Amino acid sequence: MRLKDRFSFVGQNIKKNKVRTFMTILATAMGCAFLIVLASIGYGLQQTVVDDTMEQQIVTQIDVHGHEGKDGNYQPLTVSDIEYMESIEGVKAVTRKKNLQQMPVYQIEDYQIEAETVVADFPSELKSGLELHEGRLPKEDNEIVVGYDFANYLHSESDGEAIYDEEGKLKKEYQYKGKLIGKTIKMTVSKGEEAGKEQTQTIPLKIVGMTEKPTREWMEDAKVYISQQVLVEVEAFTGTAKGVIPDSDYEAEDDSNTFDDVKVYAKNLEGVEAISKQLDNANYATYSVVSEMKQINVLFTIAKAGLILVGTIAIVIASIGIYNTMTMAVTERAPDIGIMKAIGANPKTIKQIFLLESSYIGIIGAIIGTIVAYGVSLLVNSGLPLILEMAFDEELPEGLKFSSIPATLVLIAVGICLLVTILSGMRPAKRATKIDVLKAMRREV
Amino acid sequence: MITVKQLSHHFEVGKKGQKTILPVLKDISFHVEKGEIVAIVGKSGSGKSTLLNLISGFIQPSEGEIWINDQRVTGFTEAQFADFRLEHLGFIFQSFQLIPSMTAFQNIELPLTFQGMDAAKRKELTKEMLDKVGLIDFQDHYPSELSGGQQQRVSIARALVLNPPLILADEPTGSLDSETEADLLQFIQQLNRELGTTFLIITHDDAVAGIGNRSLTIADGRLLEDGDSL
Repeated sequence: MRLKDRFSFVGQNIKKNKVRTFMTILATAMGCAFLIVLASIGYGLQQTVVDDTMEQQIVTQIDVHGHEGKDGNYQPLTVSDIEYMESIEGVKAVTRKKNLQQMPVYQIEDYQIEAETVVADFPSELKSGLELHEGRLPKEDNEIVVGYDFANYLHSESDGEAIYDEEGKLKKEYQYKGKLIGKTIKMTVSKGEEAGKEQTQTIPLKIVGMTEKPTREWMEDAKVYISQQVLVEVEAFTGTAKGVIPDSDYEAEDDSNTFDDVKVYAKNLEGVEAISKQLDNANYATYSVVSEMKQINVLFTIAKAGLILVGTIAIVIASIGIYNTMTMAVTERAPDIGIMKAIGANPKTIKQIFLLESSYIGIIGAIIGTIVAYGVSLLVNSGLPLILEMAFDEELPEGLKFSSIPATLVLIAVGICLLVTILSGMRPAKRATKIDVLKAMRREV
Repeated sequence: MITVKQLSHHFEVGKKGQKTILPVLKDISFHVEKGEIVAIVGKSGSGKSTLLNLISGFIQPSEGEIWINDQRVTGFTEAQFADFRLEHLGFIFQSFQLIPSMTAFQNIELPLTFQGMDAAKRKELTKEMLDKVGLIDFQDHYPSELSGGQQQRVSIARALVLNPPLILADEPTGSLDSETEADLLQFIQQLNRELGTTFLIITHDDAVAGIGNRSLTIADGRLLEDGDSL
């Protein structure tokens, strides 16, 4: 018997019991939609977390926090560590920064700011892909680069608290409006008080560049990037490593050559895992977005599997309806099945017709369920944030996605739906093949 | 065409554990030649319908063997017998056994569909059969919209549409009036003459038995006579 004719048989059979078939398809569709919507929450939240993590960090970046010494304690990183990291295959650049251990005051014209100051190795920063918003990288020792938001915090010396808005940001009218690039700025560092008077030193520096705007709207960069030579000058003035303001508790430690912020950049995303592994094996404390992604994905995979399992229960319940529908169909059509067998229908063909019928219910149910699930997902993503914002009077995080339905989820749901419906149609189909021809023709079945 | 050798059959009746053996057919042997019309006659309960069901493969014999078209059909699996029936046998039943939800056309077309024939060829053969049984104008009628005679004609058309070498008929005129019965018997003889189809007809009606080349009488499960040439 041709496949087309089998479908035609199924069509005729379904036509005979439209309402019953429709109700069974509806139950299957609801089960399938429930599964997809439930699991889509896992997928949606995972996507939100992953996107958020990826947006905040450069994916090829590995943070190295320290090196485990023989005593088990983590040691700060030194030049020899940097050299080792640069020698690893697949490493594009190793950036290193030293933090100045005080907040110098920077002054330009009548405006001033206390800013975090770091010493960056500009050649390695350049290799890592650093781009400036404006200007160029320093060439001379007294040249500096400032953060994108540096100017937003430069304020007039005489201004009081009124210059800040509710969020603690400098009001626009008080912000520095002139150009920074090419201007000379005075950096004043302190080494504490001596005989009741604060001892300071002012170093004139030239602004030559401004960093790119941070990738996230809520992030700010108001740092000042100085050269190693300027740090040496500050250290010479304070007499301490990294410009620490000495007090009575200060103990001189030779950590002037250690780095506070070291980042390894892989040439590509595929290399990150291997480099991280090598660094971990060499007892470095590392962190990369890839390792975080791994943990996030493992966690969400477990959550999604749980949600799919719960959703599958809905389909299993719907399958009871399919079993019932198919059993009734076999019972009702027993005389017809008997006649068909008598005139030469192969039991295999009869079984296939009934299996096709239950599969048809499963497929149509899965298609309707998927369409409904997409609709629900759309409503959830557009409506739920509004409801939550209204209910709690709080803005939800940007890009938050409650529900996401990737093609894999649809395939999983349709697969489960089909499997369950075929299994539930199996027994009635087998029963159809076992129908006794003589009893069926005598209407005794 | 058909060879039945020492065929015996019994039914087990009663509840489980208290079953009794009820012999129905005892040591039946006969042979039917190709192109013959053979009537099997006997009283009700003599075992003639059981004999037909055994030849049809609807039940398996307790003993003995059946050969059809030089093939030993005894021991065939259900699936094997289904394929064999489709290719070699046609059936005419007393109660027509048409599928009520299908039209006359669809009922006749059914064996062709099971054989996997393409739709165009099926349509052609079905129309041809409808024409042959004089029901071309009733092709879209459901069985409930046809008279008994017309339904039996549809049943015959369905049995003949694949042009099987053997037709097994169980009381084919049992549900018909005498006029329709005469028409049908004439039609069977015509088919036998024109197509050379072999007919094995179960009946208790002398008129039906009368169209056969010979008749076999069964009484109390035993074959009484064989070979009465008419």
